[in-house]
Amino acid sequence: MASPDTAVSALLVAPVTALEFLGDDCLLAGKGPVLSAYSLRAPSVKSASLSVLRNHRVHGIRPERRDRGVSAEVAAEEEPLGSSWQQRVQLVVFGGKALRLVELGGSEAFDLRTLGPVRELQDWVLDVRWVGGAAHLLGVALAHNAVLLLEAWEGHVLLRSSCEDGCLLYSALLVGPCWQSLTVVGGTVFNQLVIWRPTVTTGSGRTAPVERRLKGHSGVIFGLAYLPERGWLASASDDRSVRVWGVGPLGGAAGCGDPSPTCLQVLYGHQARVFSVTLLPVGVLSAGEDGVCLLWDCGSGKVSRALNGHRVGGVRALAVSSGWGGRSPQVATGGADGGIRLWSLGETDGGQVEAELVQDLEFQGGGSPKVVRMVWGGVKRHWGVVASTDQGEVYLWEEGSGWQLLWRGGREGAASSRGALCAVGSLSGDVWLFPLSQPARGTLLRAGLGKVHSVLWEGDREQRAGHLLVSGPEGLVRRWLVKPELGEGAVSLDCVPLRSFLLPPCAKRWLTAAILVPQPQGALWVCGDRRGSLLLYRDSDEGGEAVGDALRPLSVLFGVHGKQGVTSVCEHRGLLYSTGRDGCLRVSRVGDGGGGQLEVLRVQRACGGMDWLERVVIREPEGEGDACFLLMGFHSVHFEVWDLLRRERLLSVPCGGGHRSWSYCPPGGGSAEDGSAVVFVKQGAVLASRTPADTSHPSGASLELEGGLHGRGITCVCHLGAVRAAGDRWEVLATGGEDTRVSVLAVRPQNGAVKVLAVIADHISSVRALAALRRQDGGGGATSLSALLFSAGGRAQLQCCRLLIGGKEQVGSLSCQVIQVARHRLDEHWERRRNRHKLVKMDPETRYMSLSVVSHTAEQVFLAAACSDGVLFSVSESGGKFHLLWDCSYHQRCVLSVASCCLEDPEGNELFVISAATDGIIAFWDMTGVTDVEDGQTAPPSYAGKFIPAHQSGVNTLALWEGPWEGQEAEPAGHSWMTIASGGDDGQLSVIRIQVQLRPREMGGSGVSLKLWSRSALPSAHAAPLTALCFLSPALLVSTSPDQRVCLWNLCASSLGHGGVLFSHVADAAGLAVWKGTEAESGPKGSAWVAVCGQGLQVLRLKEERDAGKRTE
Amino acid sequence: MGRSSKDKRDIYYRLAKEEGWRARSAFKLLQLDEQFSLFAGVRRAVDLCAAPGSWSQVLSRKLRGKEPKDTEEKKEEPKIVAVDLQAMAPLPGVTQIQGDITKTSTAQEIIKHFEGQPADIVVCDGAPDVTGLHDVDEYIQAQLLLAALNITTHVLKPGGTFVAKIFRGKDVTLLYSQLKIFFSEVTCAKPRSSRNSSIEAFAVCQNYCPPSGYIPNMSNPLLDHCYDVDFNQLEGPNRIIVPFLACGDLSAYDSDRTYPLQLDPSKEYKYTPPTQPPIRPPYEQACHLRKNNLLATEDSPCRPLDGAFSNLHLSANEDSEMTSEVDAASLSAEAAHQDTVV
Ligand SMILES: C[S@@+](CC[C@H](N)C(=O)[O-])C[C@H]1O[C@@H](n2cnc3c(N)ncnc32)[C@H](O)[C@@H]1O
Repeated sequence: MASPDTAVSALLVAPVTALEFLGDDCLLAGKGPVLSAYSLRAPSVKSASLSVLRNHRVHGIRPERRDRGVSAEVAAEEEPLGSSWQQRVQLVVFGGKALRLVELGGSEAFDLRTLGPVRELQDWVLDVRWVGGAAHLLGVALAHNAVLLLEAWEGHVLLRSSCEDGCLLYSALLVGPCWQSLTVVGGTVFNQLVIWRPTVTTGSGRTAPVERRLKGHSGVIFGLAYLPERGWLASASDDRSVRVWGVGPLGGAAGCGDPSPTCLQVLYGHQARVFSVTLLPVGVLSAGEDGVCLLWDCGSGKVSRALNGHRVGGVRALAVSSGWGGRSPQVATGGADGGIRLWSLGETDGGQVEAELVQDLEFQGGGSPKVVRMVWGGVKRHWGVVASTDQGEVYLWEEGSGWQLLWRGGREGAASSRGALCAVGSLSGDVWLFPLSQPARGTLLRAGLGKVHSVLWEGDREQRAGHLLVSGPEGLVRRWLVKPELGEGAVSLDCVPLRSFLLPPCAKRWLTAAILVPQPQGALWVCGDRRGSLLLYRDSDEGGEAVGDALRPLSVLFGVHGKQGVTSVCEHRGLLYSTGRDGCLRVSRVGDGGGGQLEVLRVQRACGGMDWLERVVIREPEGEGDACFLLMGFHSVHFEVWDLLRRERLLSVPCGGGHRSWSYCPPGGGSAEDGSAVVFVKQGAVLASRTPADTSHPSGASLELEGGLHGRGITCVCHLGAVRAAGDRWEVLATGGEDTRVSVLAVRPQNGAVKVLAVIADHISSVRALAALRRQDGGGGATSLSALLFSAGGRAQLQCCRLLIGGKEQVGSLSCQVIQVARHRLDEHWERRRNRHKLVKMDPETRYMSLSVVSHTAEQVFLAAACSDGVLFSVSESGGKFHLLWDCSYHQRCVLSVASCCLEDPEGNELFVISAATDGIIAFWDMTGVTDVEDGQTAPPSYAGKFIPAHQSGVNTLALWEGPWEGQEAEPAGHSWMTIASGGDDGQLSVIRIQVQLRPREMGGSGVSLKLWSRSALPSAHAAPLTALCFLSPALLVSTSPDQRVCLWNLCASSLGHGGVLFSHVADAAGLAVWKGTEAESGPKGSAWVAVCGQGLQVLRLKEERDAGKRTE
Repeated sequence: MGRSSKDKRDIYYRLAKEEGWRARSAFKLLQLDEQFSLFAGVRRAVDLCAAPGSWSQVLSRKLRGKEPKDTEEKKEEPKIVAVDLQAMAPLPGVTQIQGDITKTSTAQEIIKHFEGQPADIVVCDGAPDVTGLHDVDEYIQAQLLLAALNITTHVLKPGGTFVAKIFRGKDVTLLYSQLKIFFSEVTCAKPRSSRNSSIEAFAVCQNYCPPSGYIPNMSNPLLDHCYDVDFNQLEGPNRIIVPFLACGDLSAYDSDRTYPLQLDPSKEYKYTPPTQPPIRPPYEQACHLRKNNLLATEDSPCRPLDGAFSNLHLSANEDSEMTSEVDAASLSAEAAHQDTVV
C-alpha cells in the first residue's frame, strides 16, 4: 500500500506561506511542503525546489546564524549573513508540528539537501531560533505558549519551559542569542502580547511568569517582528491594524526590555486583516488579506509606499532583505494565489522612500498648452516633450535646456508628432508638417476648407516612412505617405497623397485612431472615430490625383464603443484590440479570411476599475514569453497603467482625471535607462511624472518570480486536451474560482511548469462549475486545440466561450484566444419568456452548482445544469444564445450535481441526465425527447426513471461510466449498462450499476426502462465530505475530499476495494480532472494524471494503469 | 445587496430571526438533540464558546422549560454556565464567564462551578476567526476542542455527553482517536442546518468513561494525537473514522437552497430585524475608520480614536449594516461570523 508506488506529486500551486532572504541574492520560499531557492543575482542561475515537510506546510525558514560565538550583545548578532552568502548554509524549515534541517549549497546552481528526517513535535511550531554554538541547538516556540530547547541533529528535546499563562498563541517570536537569555513574545487569542523568559521559572509548577503584557489590539495577533537597533516590536492583527511598541532591548542580558513599554504607533491603513509585519530602520512593512504591502513611515504614521501586486486572497508571506553594504533593501511578497513578487524599495535616504513624483515642467511660452507628446532623440538622445498651444505655437522641452519655440503658425486645430516629425492642423484646413530638428524645413499640406479635427500618424518610430491621416470637414480623412529624406544635413519631406477615407455621417465626424494591418489580400486600415465606431478601409495604392474619390468603409461597427468615442486600436497576432471612453476593451477580427467584415469577439469591461480607457499597447516579449498588454486610462482622478494579463496596476498618477492631453512612455521606452514617464496638461501647466528606472525590475513596479493562480479557492477544474509547442506536450486545463475568474492554463507536469494562458473575468460571482466540449484534431501531437467552455456560478450566471489554443513550434510559446459565444443570466432570460407565468420565477440569487454537456450537434450543444433553488435545467446553446429547453423542480432542495450519458440505440441515441441534491437521492432523467424539440416549442415532460437514495446527506459529485464492466456476462440484445459512482457529504462512496433496457419508443413515454442491477458503498471512504470523483477506467475510480487524501478505488463486479492513497497539499479539495498519459511517456500500460483543485492546484501522476479487481492488500 | 438578500440566501438565518434565536446555530443544536436526545435528564450543562448565546437559549429552554412541578424534585435549579471570549447579553438562569477557554485560569473558574456536582453535558461550538489558511484554522479549531475536552474531563459526570464542533479537515482522524479514549461512542454528526458546503460538523461523544486511573490535569494542555510512526495512517486505509450521521428531519429546510422570500403563499414576507446587536467584531474600528476616510494614506496618518472608542462602539451598533457589510476583503472575516444573526 505504500503510496509512492501509487502516485507522485508532479506539480503544485499553493499559497506561499514562508519567505526568507539569504543575503541579498537568494530568496527562499515555502509553498505547501516544498522549499524553493531562487537566485536574485542572475536569472540564469536556476532555482531549486525540494519537498521537505511531508504532510506539513512550510511556515518558516531560518538560516543558521554565522556568528557562532555566543554574544550578549544584542545588536551585533542580528546580521545573519553577509550581503552574499557563500558555499553552503544550513536552514531549519518548520511548519505545522514539524521541522527539518536542510542544507542549501552551490553558487552556480542551487542544490537543496535534507539533513536527517522530518522531526515531528507534539505541538504546533510558531517560531524557531538557532541558539547553539557549534551544536544544532534550536529554540522552538510552540502554540501552547511553551518553548523547547531542541537538539536538531538527533531530534532530542533537551528542555521544555512553559509560560504561566497557559493559553493558545497565534504567533510567537524568539529573541536572543542563546537559550539562557532567550526572550519569547507571544500573540495570544485574547489579543495581548505577552513577553517572558523560558529560563526564569517560579512557583511549584516551574512555569515562567509573564514579564510584560502589551494590550491594545482588538483582534488576535497574526504576526510579530522586532528591530533591535531601535528597540521596536511590531504586531499585525485581525483587527486590521499594525502596532509598533517601544520595548527597548530584548533578549540577552536585557531580558524583557523596558519595564514599561509603550505603544508608539497604531497603523490603520489595510482594508482587511494584517497577516505579517517586518521592521526595517526606515519603517514598518505590513501585508495581509487585502493583497497590498504597505511601507509605513514610523515617525509620521503615514504610508510611504503601497506595493500592490497580488490578487484577492492576499499576501501570506513577507520578507525584506538586509540591504547590506549600501544596497537598497528588497521586499518579497508571497500570495495566497501562489505568486511571489520582488520589489525594490529604492533609495532610502532619510527614511523617506521616493514614490512617483509629479514635476511641473514650467511651461513658458505664448498661450496655454493644449496637446502634449513625448518624443525621443534630439542631441542628447533623451526624451523631450512637444507641446502645441491654443495660439498655434509648437514648443519643445528637453531635459536640461527647458522650453524652446519650434514653430509659430495660425490658430491650430489639432497636432500630432511622431518621432522626429510634427504635424499641426489649423482651423482653416492647413496642415503644417515639419521635422522637430529643423522646424524651418517644413511643408504645408491642404486638408480641405475648414477645421482640422484630428491629425494621426500611423507607423512605427523605427520605420522610415509613415502615414499621416488628417480629418477635415465633412467626414473626409486625407492621407499622405510621408518619407523624410536626409540630404546634405538637411531633412526634406516627401509627401505622397493617397485616396481619402469617408467617415459615416454623424455629429462628431473625425478619426481618433487608425492602424494599417497587412493582410494576404492587401493591407487594410482599421480605424476608430469620435462617434465610437470601428471602421475598416482598404488600403488602396492608387494615389495621385484621384483624392476626390474618397474610399468608403468596407465594414462599420457603428458606435460600438459608445458616444464618447474610440481611443485606440492595435493589432496583435491577427486580432484587433480597441479601447474606448466607455471603459471597454474590445477584441475583434476581420472575418472571412481577412477581406470581409469586422466582428467583435469579446468585450472586457472594468479593466482595473478604469472608467475611461485611453490606449492599449501590446509589447512583444524579448525572446521567449508572453506578450504584455498594457492598458492606459483614467480611474477617477488618476491616470493609470494596467497590466491586463497579470491584472496589476503598474502606475497611478494623480493627474486630475480625463479630458486631458497626455502622453506615456513605458519603462525602457526611450533608452534602456529610462523609467516610465507620463506627461499631461493640467490647468495650463505641463506636468511630468517619472518613475525612476529600476535596474532590477525592468518590466514595471515589481518582478514576478512566480506567477499566481486564483487567489481564493479553485472550485472546479476541467481538462481540455493537449497541445505541442517546441516539441513539448502541454496539457491544457481550465479552472474556475471563488475569485469569479475562469483561467485557462497550460501545464507540463513532467517539469512542474504552469502557464496562465488566459483569464476570463466575465462572472460577477463565484464560478462553481465548468463543462467543456473539446474539438481536437490529431490527438496530443497537435499544435492547436479548440474547445467550447461553459462556466456557471453564483447570481444565476452561465457563460460560454470558445477557446483556440495554439502552440508555436519554434519558440515554444503558447497562446489562447478567447471568443465570447454566449452569456446568460436566468433572471434576464425569464423576463423575456412569453409563457413565463408557467414557470417558476428564477431568483437572481440562485447559484449554479454543477454543469454537464449532454450532447451536441454541429450547431447546438445541450447542457444540464443544477441550481441551488432546487431546479434542474436543460439548456441548449446555439447561434450565440442559450435556450431554456426544460426545467423541473423535483428535488425541492439544492441540486448539487449532474452528470449525463448518451447510450447508443438503433433508433437514435438515448440521453440520460442524472442529478442529485442535498437529501442524498439520485434521480435519473430520460432527456431523449427534450433535445429533439424545435426552437420555440415547449419540451415534453421528461420521464424520470428512478430515484435512488444513496447518501445520508448531500451528493457532492457524480461520475458515470457507460458500458459493461469486467466479469459481466454477455450483454443481451437491447440492453445497455451504466455505472454511477457518487460521493457524499457523509464521506461515503457509493456505486450503483444500472441495466438499461431499450424498448421501442411509445408515444409520450420513454423508450427505456431502468433496472437497479447492483449497489455497493463504502461508508467512510473519506474522513471528510467526498467532494470529487472521476473514472479513470471502468475498474478504477479516483476521489478526493477536504481530508486532503486522493484515493484510488478498484471496482469489481460487486465490490469496491481500496486501491491506494496519496496525501495532497491542496486544502479544501473541491474538484478533480483526470487524463491519460501518452505511451511514449510511460510505456504501453500507460500512466494517468490527476489534477486536484481547491486552495491551489496539484497534479499527481499515477504510476501504472492498475488492473481491475487486483486488490493491493 | 439589500438586507433581504441574506434572507433569501440563508433560510436558517431568516428563521432564527423570526423565531427569536440569537444565531442560526440554535437549529444545529436542536437538530442534534432530535437525533441524540441530548437533554434527557440533563440538569447541569456547560456551554463553551457560547456568544452570542443561541445555544444557551436552547439549553435554557430545554432545561428550565420542563421544570418539574413536583415540590420535592424541585430542590435543585438547573445550572447552565456559558463561557466565551466575548461578552454576551444576559439570559435567564445562565451564569456567564468571559474568558479564553484555552487559558488555565478560565478553565479553573469553570471547574469551580461544578465541584461536587458534575455536569451532565458539555457543549462547545467554538470556532476561531478563520485565517483562510486551512492548516492553521484546522489546528486552532482542534485546540479549542481539546481545551473543551480538558475542561470536560474535570467537570463531566461518568456517562455524560460532550458535543463539540469539529472541522473535517486533513487531521480530523487524529481528533477522533483522542476522543475515543474518553468516550465509548463517538459520532460525527452533521445537522441539516449546517451547510453542505462547509467542513463543519459536530463530534457527539456519548458515555464518558475515562481510562481507568486517568487523572485530569489542568497544567498541561491535552494535545492532539500524531500519526503512527511509519505514517501508515497518513496514507493508508486504517485511519480512525467514526460513523457519520446526518441529523434533522429531511423535510426540514435545506440550508444550501435559496428560497423565495415568500415561503408561504398565504403569508406576506416581512423583514425581521436581528434579535441581538452583533458581537463586536475585531475589525469594527478599522471599518469605522474606512467608512469615514480616516485610514492612513500617503498624505495623512490614520487617526484612530482609542479614547473615544466607547462612543464609537455605540454609534456602530445603531448602524445594523456594520457586520453584514460584504466586501472582498472582509469576506473571510465575515465567514467566521456568518452564523451570527445580526
Ligand atoms: C460560532 S460562535 C458560537 C455561537 C454560539 N454557539 C451560539 O449559538 O450563539 C463561536 C464562538 O467561539 C468563541 N471563541 C473562539 N475562541 C475562543 C476561546 N479561545 N475561548 C472562548 N471562546 C472562544 C468566539 O468568541 C465565538 O463567539
